[in-house]
Amino acid sequence: MTDLSAGYQDKDRYDRQRRIDWIDMDGIFQSKILVAGAGALGNEVVKNLVLSGFRHIDVVDMDEIVLSNLNRCLFFRDSDVKKIPKAVAVANKASELSPDAYVYPIVGKVQDIQTWDYDIVIGCLDNILARMHVNSHACYHGIPYIDGATDGMRGKVNAVLPGGPCLQCTMNKSHIREMEKRFSCTGDAVMFVPHLASDVTTTSVVAAIQVREAMKIASRRYDLCIRNVCYYDGTAGDMFILEVTTDPNCPNHEVQK
Amino acid sequence: MTIVIEVRNVASGAVLKMELDPADKIYDIIESAAEYWNKDAGAYVLKKGKKLLHGSETVAEANLVTNDVVEMIPDPEGGI
Repeated sequence: MTDLSAGYQDKDRYDRQRRIDWIDMDGIFQSKILVAGAGALGNEVVKNLVLSGFRHIDVVDMDEIVLSNLNRCLFFRDSDVKKIPKAVAVANKASELSPDAYVYPIVGKVQDIQTWDYDIVIGCLDNILARMHVNSHACYHGIPYIDGATDGMRGKVNAVLPGGPCLQCTMNKSHIREMEKRFSCTGDAVMFVPHLASDVTTTSVVAAIQVREAMKIASRRYDLCIRNVCYYDGTAGDMFILEVTTDPNCPNHEVQK
Repeated sequence: MTIVIEVRNVASGAVLKMELDPADKIYDIIESAAEYWNKDAGAYVLKKGKKLLHGSETVAEANLVTNDVVEMIPDPEGGI
């Protein structure tokens, strides 16, 4: 029996990551993650999750790939356009990054998910209504929810921890007004999602913060998590964190388990 | 008794003075400032220092007093 083998440092995929003292690789390996949305943020988030050692990842998205996705989505190719659902492309390509990662695609709406048996939910969505849906389910089931959002060079990450203020606690009537605009004026159950500005540099920053928060949660280091929302302005190169308190009028805190 | 605060537009750096009644809601500040600056439709939040203010809070509940500076921040919605 020897104490070590020569060059052992380069024989472990996660050797360099293990050198960060608060990281618990076993916690990361065992965590079950739901990524809601397989667009720009979803691509970056899943890439970061797999490279960081997360092994059990479900990705849900209902859309197909279109050409205008290709400026910011690592896992999409020209040959995928109009042929492959986003969730499937992300799952297939991301699995190539690590033989231990199991990335499972769910082609459908996040609203169709029935079983919320996840350790962490990461929001990579494009509208307030879907965010509120995921947020309320995460709150009800006591699952940490890390929501990311971008608009051009601006971005934000909300870290919603069980028992703490939730995403809806940060919202006001301007969010509700925006949400209502998304519905067809004909009254049909059709959602209109505007084409917002988006670039890969802002997406990368926001996704990196989201996955770093997931690593803290998987490592059971809630004390290190963002309290509670991080805003990023890529044009100014500025980032700041705002504290949120639980809104006494927020319905999620009346039904929390 | 009315108070007067400064509202700073984080996106443009513009500043306006706004007269408020203690019963006014935080959302009223957002809506009035957005209209004054002809902001595009979108969601916004208001912060004072390092704290995000709840839209449903009143000016009195948020402990806003004359000469306070609050900042209006566009709240991103995208991600695809």
